[in-house]
Amino acid sequence: MRRLIVIASALLLLTLLGIAWQQSQRSKPIALIPTLTGKVEYCLTCHSDLPEISKSHPVKTFGCVICHGGVPLALDATLAHSTLRGGANPADYSVVQENCGGANCHSGTAASYSDDIPRSTTSIQDTYAGAIAIMRYTYGGQTNLKALFGTSAIQDPQSTSGITSLQKYDPKIETNPMLRLFGQNCLTCHLSAPPIQTGGRYDHFTGCAACHTPTQLPNLTSVNTKTATLVHKLTTAIPYTQCDACHNRGNYDLRTMVFQARTDSAVTRLQDYYQPIAQFTKCEWTLDCIDCHTRTETMGDGSLYSSKLDIQYIQCKTCHGTLTQLPLTRTLTDPNDLAFRLAQLNPVVNLKLGDTILVTAKGEPLWNTRVMPDGTYQLVGKASGQVFPFKPVMGSGCKQDPNNQSSASCHQCHSVQR
Amino acid sequence: MNERKLSRRDFLKTARNGLLTLSGLLGLGALVRFLSYQSQPPTPTEFVLGAPGDYALGTRNLLPQVPAMLIHSAAGFTALSLVCPHLGCTVEPQPDGFSCPCHGSRFGLQGQMVRGPAGKALTVLRVKTAADGKLHLFTN
Repeated sequence: MRRLIVIASALLLLTLLGIAWQQSQRSKPIALIPTLTGKVEYCLTCHSDLPEISKSHPVKTFGCVICHGGVPLALDATLAHSTLRGGANPADYSVVQENCGGANCHSGTAASYSDDIPRSTTSIQDTYAGAIAIMRYTYGGQTNLKALFGTSAIQDPQSTSGITSLQKYDPKIETNPMLRLFGQNCLTCHLSAPPIQTGGRYDHFTGCAACHTPTQLPNLTSVNTKTATLVHKLTTAIPYTQCDACHNRGNYDLRTMVFQARTDSAVTRLQDYYQPIAQFTKCEWTLDCIDCHTRTETMGDGSLYSSKLDIQYIQCKTCHGTLTQLPLTRTLTDPNDLAFRLAQLNPVVNLKLGDTILVTAKGEPLWNTRVMPDGTYQLVGKASGQVFPFKPVMGSGCKQDPNNQSSASCHQCHSVQR
Repeated sequence: MNERKLSRRDFLKTARNGLLTLSGLLGLGALVRFLSYQSQPPTPTEFVLGAPGDYALGTRNLLPQVPAMLIHSAAGFTALSLVCPHLGCTVEPQPDGFSCPCHGSRFGLQGQMVRGPAGKALTVLRVKTAADGKLHLFTN
């Protein structure tokens, strides 16, 4: 009996020593009380090494939980992460409203320039309505190119495009086997799709992160996608490599409807990277995509569309004008001009009241451009910071056809030979 | 010299007592640690700023611990909260007022909103000279 008591005492002591050792191994809790919530959270105990996600979302102000979810007081990783919203991607569209929404954040009004979520979730990049319509038209599923289906059912009663609703696309309705194959294989390229794979960069390929969390890859292709490390970053300085992670990832074989991922390892952007059948002007392979394509072109304007061609409207003449008309400009007189907001998010230029910038036909500010005192123009790369001086067409020897101003027409003379 | 031989019974008794004492001490240590745990102190809402004479007439003094800007004008002392009314970032003093580094809101020298997205001016905080003769600033 006495021996049993001694053994029990030894076991008790060992247990207590074990607990004490375990406690000593734990990091000292780091408390944070974000200004926005005023509630303590201990996430930084383990995550203090993470860089600030952006200067618009400082951790001291936002904390972690308001955007990621999680159990703020937990010190155990499993418990702390048990209520994360969106896992590795809190900007996934399945949780974006909860994590990034709110009138003061990203689901406010157009007038306050904070309608990012309503715009992007009705955009062609999310609905995929254009691709679905064109495929159904091509294979006899419908008689015209007007979008009937999207990746989810959606209404737009105030439509300015003529599309007031989209039905959720279910490939099972199709009788044509090609459309069934399209449904099986080709519905992953939209922002609310489940990631086509998990792990590595794939975890950030949906929702806002697909564009705003760029990963710097060691070369120009996306072959390292699976092994790329996720980054804690949100930015509007999006390099073309991020756009091309989806838009130049490979090709669908139209005979088999199977995606053929590119496996090459491109070194130069023009020679190796882009499709050999395409033509490009110098702008198209020296600038980043976002240097020309505006926020409504890329993220929509809140209306539903049948094709990306209905929302893409930037042309060469937007910046270069025509033989008879200079590009449209605006002198900044309103401190609340959208141009200042956008420049503040990505300060590659120091915009001031009184500066004259180029604007699009819809009045969107091309805030990274400037009319110079000598009448020439300047564009600063939003992702590269590079300065590109350029001139208007007016007064040049350009032989343009005034009725054909799209890039395809300009390619007649200005495409770069490869 | 008499060598006292420890009986098996005494050895077990000593071992038991020793082990239980150590366990008890460890448990007591854990209890003391638990009871003496300091939870997060509440965010202060009152700040003692010192003597009014420390802040010359016509000066603007940054109070990073609040954070606020204490302004001493002919009308007396006033203070502007440097917490942006938009989402709570700390605004930064500029020659012509204040700017928010997070979302670009701008405020004039008296805290009035010049540019959004903040929908309103910087909050004016209460400052008074208390019975102790010192300036007190209140954030609530």
